[in-house]
Amino acid sequence: MTTFYGLPGAEAFWHWTTLVHFLLVALAGGTAFYTAVLGIRRAASARGLAWLALAFIVLDLFMLWAESPARFRFSHVWLFLSFEPASAIWWGAWGLATSALMLLLLALGLGPARFWAGVLALTSAVVLAYPGYALAANAARPLWDHLLLAFFPASGLLLALAVLVWLRPAEEAAPWLQVAALASLALAALYPVALASGGADARLAFALWLRGWGWFLLGGGLLFLAAFLARRAPALAGACALAGAFVLRSWIVEQGQHSFFVHGF
Amino acid sequence: MARYAMLIDLAACVGCAACAAACVLENEVPPGHGRLWIRQRELGAFPDVTVEYRPEQCLHCERPPCVPVCPTGASHQTEDGLVLVRAERCIACAACIAACPYDARFMNPAGYVDKCTFCEHRLARGEDPACVETCPTGCRVFGDLDDPESPLHAWLAEAERVDVLRPEMGTAPKLLYLNTPSKRGLANHESEVES
Ligand code: SF4
Ligand code: SF4
Repeated sequence: MTTFYGLPGAEAFWHWTTLVHFLLVALAGGTAFYTAVLGIRRAASARGLAWLALAFIVLDLFMLWAESPARFRFSHVWLFLSFEPASAIWWGAWGLATSALMLLLLALGLGPARFWAGVLALTSAVVLAYPGYALAANAARPLWDHLLLAFFPASGLLLALAVLVWLRPAEEAAPWLQVAALASLALAALYPVALASGGADARLAFALWLRGWGWFLLGGGLLFLAAFLARRAPALAGACALAGAFVLRSWIVEQGQHSFFVHGF
Repeated sequence: MARYAMLIDLAACVGCAACAAACVLENEVPPGHGRLWIRQRELGAFPDVTVEYRPEQCLHCERPPCVPVCPTGASHQTEDGLVLVRAERCIACAACIAACPYDARFMNPAGYVDKCTFCEHRLARGEDPACVETCPTGCRVFGDLDDPESPLHAWLAEAERVDVLRPEMGTAPKLLYLNTPSKRGLANHESEVES
């Protein structure tokens, strides 16, 4: 039996608002990346989309600030006054800020558009990548496996494509959606394998995953449907992809943060 | 420059939590949170039973995982080896809470991350941390690992065993537990508790 006098800091530290941010940042990064790819090919075709990506970034940055208990202390300025390259969130802050700038230049048609699109491809890739890095960096949280370094960018791009497939000519976005859905599905299927074959916490990590396998069945099923329907019924495929990727990402973020140290393994 | 560390002799700790209470008073820890708490575990089965009283707090790790993840430099390590938070820089992103393997950090309702500081304000005055000063059994000692005069060294030399929490995390804690009551060492995993 374990009892405590006093309180370890083992409560959940990220809340539903954080899950919304994990969704918004994927929409922002994925849309920006798609804009960059279009823009590199033909700059003019990316202008409308640039506004949408910019809107997602603004929405996400607002959400990040609004949900932060530090919001009225205005300490966020330090994100841009420090050099912390080992911190995923620092990369995210700069990735979002520079992507926003590139998108604004693209949207307004100022300067060398294809060059901006090239820069945007890099900065938006950072935005897609940093949430997975922010999770995987924590050796103390067994569910936040290194595989998330790949799963979060893939599913993030998928989330953006799920929205784009409604807004863009479907024949343009649908093949991308299919590829992203298949990649996310493959990574989601590998996830429990990666957990079970991890380090010292492998048994624990897999046992934890088993508690949530139903969510993976649901999320994985939706991703499969998205890939299957991508070319046949793109709008429906988009809805499946959005729901599936959101369920899987949210489960991983939400469940992975619980302290197994305090509750025992 | 120092390398500050704390030792707790678990053979003498009675889990009275005087240290935890002293910490709350000294540092005005907000209600509902703790910089220091006591974990009590019953180990073994009758007639071979042990109780482990284990005060826990920030271990001021030599390789603190909570520092590199911080995007603003709020979470930092001082030259004296203290791991501290500059509240004015903290954006309350909780990345450091996620990285800490010891649940040592919490979100202060004032909007920044808070934790044990080894009472740095007291160290600056040449005093011991409040928990060390208060402990009625004298089972805690604080000092500088790099100072050969520090009582830490005598305690370490006399200890039957020295343990740290979750050594597999590679954090090199500077809160060391001496004379853990169980022969198996610190009960890190609930599954090791056989009661
Ligand atoms: S005050 Fe001393 S004896 Fe009491 S719980 Fe704290 S360390 Fe143990
Ligand atoms: S919560 Fe504060 S101290 Fe912790 S990582 Fe974020 S900014 Fe740094």
